[in-house]
Amino acid sequence: MEFNTPLFLGFFAAAAVINYALPRMLRPYFLLIASYAFYLYDPDNAALVWILLTTTAISWAAGLALEKIQRRAVRVAIVTASFLSCGGFLFYFKYLGFFDEIFSSFLSLLGGKANVLQLDLVAPLGLSYFIFAGLGYVVDQYRRKYPAEKNPLMYGVFVSFFPCIFTGPIERYDRMSRQFRHPRPFSYNRCAGGAFRMLWGYFKKMVLADNLAVFVSSIFSKPENSTGPQLLLAILIFSMQLYMDFSGCCDIAIGGARILGFDLLENFNAPFMATSFSDFWRRWHMSLTGWFRDYLYIPLGGSRHGKVRHYINLVIVFLVSGLWHGAAWGYVLWGLVSGVLSAAEVIWQKSFAKNSHAKPPLAVVWLQRVGTYVLFSLSLTFFMSALYGVDWSYLTTNITLGWNTFFADPNAFCAGLSAFGLGGRKLIVLIFGTAAVLTAESRGNIAAWIRRQNWSIRWTLYYALGLGILFYGAFGQSVFIYQQY
Amino acid sequence: MNHMAKTILRRLYYGTKILCKFAMISPILLFMVYFSYKVDRSGLFQGALGPRTVVDLMLSGHDVTNFEQMDERGVVSLYAQDVPENERPSVIGIGSSRVLQFNREVIGTDSYFSMGVTGADVRDNMTSYYVMVRAGKAPDVLVWSVDPWVLYGSEKAFDSRADSELYNEFLTKVLGVETDYEEPDKVELWKALADPAYFQGNMDYYMAIRSGAAVTDDEGNEIPFKAVTGDVYDNDASIKRSDGSVLYSKEFREQNQDQILFNAMSACNTFNSVHMEGFTELSAKQEQAFDAFIRYAQSNGTTVILVLCPWHPYLYDFLLWQEDDHQGFLQVENWIRQYAHDNQVPLYGSYDPLQLGMEEMDFFDGLHCKDIGLKKFFPGVPAILQQIESGSVPDALEITPRTTAAERCPW
Repeated sequence: MEFNTPLFLGFFAAAAVINYALPRMLRPYFLLIASYAFYLYDPDNAALVWILLTTTAISWAAGLALEKIQRRAVRVAIVTASFLSCGGFLFYFKYLGFFDEIFSSFLSLLGGKANVLQLDLVAPLGLSYFIFAGLGYVVDQYRRKYPAEKNPLMYGVFVSFFPCIFTGPIERYDRMSRQFRHPRPFSYNRCAGGAFRMLWGYFKKMVLADNLAVFVSSIFSKPENSTGPQLLLAILIFSMQLYMDFSGCCDIAIGGARILGFDLLENFNAPFMATSFSDFWRRWHMSLTGWFRDYLYIPLGGSRHGKVRHYINLVIVFLVSGLWHGAAWGYVLWGLVSGVLSAAEVIWQKSFAKNSHAKPPLAVVWLQRVGTYVLFSLSLTFFMSALYGVDWSYLTTNITLGWNTFFADPNAFCAGLSAFGLGGRKLIVLIFGTAAVLTAESRGNIAAWIRRQNWSIRWTLYYALGLGILFYGAFGQSVFIYQQY
Repeated sequence: MNHMAKTILRRLYYGTKILCKFAMISPILLFMVYFSYKVDRSGLFQGALGPRTVVDLMLSGHDVTNFEQMDERGVVSLYAQDVPENERPSVIGIGSSRVLQFNREVIGTDSYFSMGVTGADVRDNMTSYYVMVRAGKAPDVLVWSVDPWVLYGSEKAFDSRADSELYNEFLTKVLGVETDYEEPDKVELWKALADPAYFQGNMDYYMAIRSGAAVTDDEGNEIPFKAVTGDVYDNDASIKRSDGSVLYSKEFREQNQDQILFNAMSACNTFNSVHMEGFTELSAKQEQAFDAFIRYAQSNGTTVILVLCPWHPYLYDFLLWQEDDHQGFLQVENWIRQYAHDNQVPLYGSYDPLQLGMEEMDFFDGLHCKDIGLKKFFPGVPAILQQIESGSVPDALEITPRTTAAERCPW
């Protein structure tokens, strides 16, 4: 059940009405039922629901055991067993084929016989998300951060909560348990704000991301037919498409949860306003970077064990983050490049920018922003190659072609873009829509902002977004990119 | 007021408030539905683009170019749907291409529309009238140019272009004959109105029309139909007139006697291939259908006038000469005459040109009469109605067509 379908909207509306019609103490249990109904709707997921159930049971039981057991060795064994069992699902469905391929290639190099497993596994919906949520809970229990959950159903709704099982945000149990135990009473303002956040998300996904995707995918599905300027433009646009797609989905999830009475973690904080690469990563996919910070970077020692360890830890975290996105060399390389760039930036800041505390001029700030955007976009080339299965030989060859023609007649290049869906009224909508979204989001929480406006501004915006979706939205043809991770 | 009552009141208040807010968004949805219904690029509600273009032009009084490329059956169905109630033609003509030469002048009234289609089989005949009745626009008079294959009971008498679904609907709904007709799923159809993707397609189409770009159908084919400009009789290709009749190209209309004879001779060997392959005897089932259809038309208050359009003298002589190969055909006229006589249905014309005093120059080719030829045996609907009123309709049995080789005469 995709977020951008009428079926989901109908399901969500029914769930919201029933949720508020029930006594508060029953609401978490209803949401558990609704979450499993959402999950089981797709037959592929229904066949693999046992993974969700097993992950829930293992992490919940591990939490209980960790709360009671004092011996460190046993506690470590429990955490290890949890990681091996829950992580085992992740490894089996996402990485087994990839690592087997590497192993087989290695064997071939040594002259051995390679038997590559021909696995074509369909991973269950939200596998990475609910396993990370469950493992995060186990580690929190190991650290005795908060009391373990005694009620398996209450824990179950946390792991399977349907607004965020799709593409996150990856939630923390201590935040959510309070909300499950003490459901908020109905608030019209909260619901209206949540509905607007959903509408905002649909606009970003269906109008901006999906229309940008037409251009990007048409370039990268046939890079052999593309020129250097086209490839470069597609690389620069892809990062915007990815942001609109992923953050749009998160807006829908966060807005939906808000309507149901829950506050989810924010996943983005105007990332394209970042003035450095590390600043960017503090604003991008915050629930995942937060997870890696708390459960990987800090346990590895963070920045506490010297400079070199610090840099290595940064690279490791990004490398694992790349691998989290998928079992392909493109993602691994993307993680590696991001890690190296982050480490390089830290080195540069520590070496050369120690005393520069003065606020730079606006022009410099914008240069930094543009530079960060370009850097991120270029690093995403690896990500994109994995996503679209781009042949690198074409990419590296064709990126140098066509520049003379471009400089000789840039107007012809612009006119040619309409053949790729970037022309006419749609191009104007994309430019102004993107600019409006980025500007609005750089000023804070859009859902809270809309509730402070008078009705004329509110309704003008509702109609603008609604008509924008009606006229320019892509209907019934695309899934969310991060849904596959 | 106790807590329960307050809770209920609060919920009612917010429920109503939320519903009102949704109602405030409804103009967007209503606009989408209205726009999709009116523009209807795929022709789900307003008919396919090609026929719709033709019908729109005809209804606004224009003659239309490119007759050869028209989906004639689509045009007929759509005309029945779109013609305004107050402009409903009081007379319609049904039949094959031969009835397409019956224009307002020949019929004798401006309130006429020729619903004939090229190669019309019996299903086309009946459905052409049925769509008018179904639309609540049953004509006062039906001029039925009866082709001989109407009484042939083989599938070879069927034309592949005929709308068999529509015919099955007619048989099932009107005549009560069991067929595999199924009521179309209206829900699926109406879902298109709630489909934003369909709305966007309609918007693109609408904007293309407004900008003067070439109008294309869903497959990207350009719609080639335009209103005729200039002298309609100075035409290079056939034209669909606004009364549904067809005006052949000037070159075809102005053929000399030799060229017409050549056309008639060419038609001899292909005569049976037009829906009459293996036609040796009349079908009892088709005779019943013929009768049922006329009674159906009469039950709708329509006066039925039967017409037998003559064949070129050379062609008819050939049919008599090859009598054995045209047994079915040669039985048709006498059966129809007897039927008209028995049931007091006015009948004009004859397949046998000799009976009508037709000359070679009264034809375009072996099959199609010019209006001067038609006027020789068809006095016009107003005159026929007067004859009916005064009881002076010529007896159908007054004419006896030649049906054997022995009756051939030098021409």
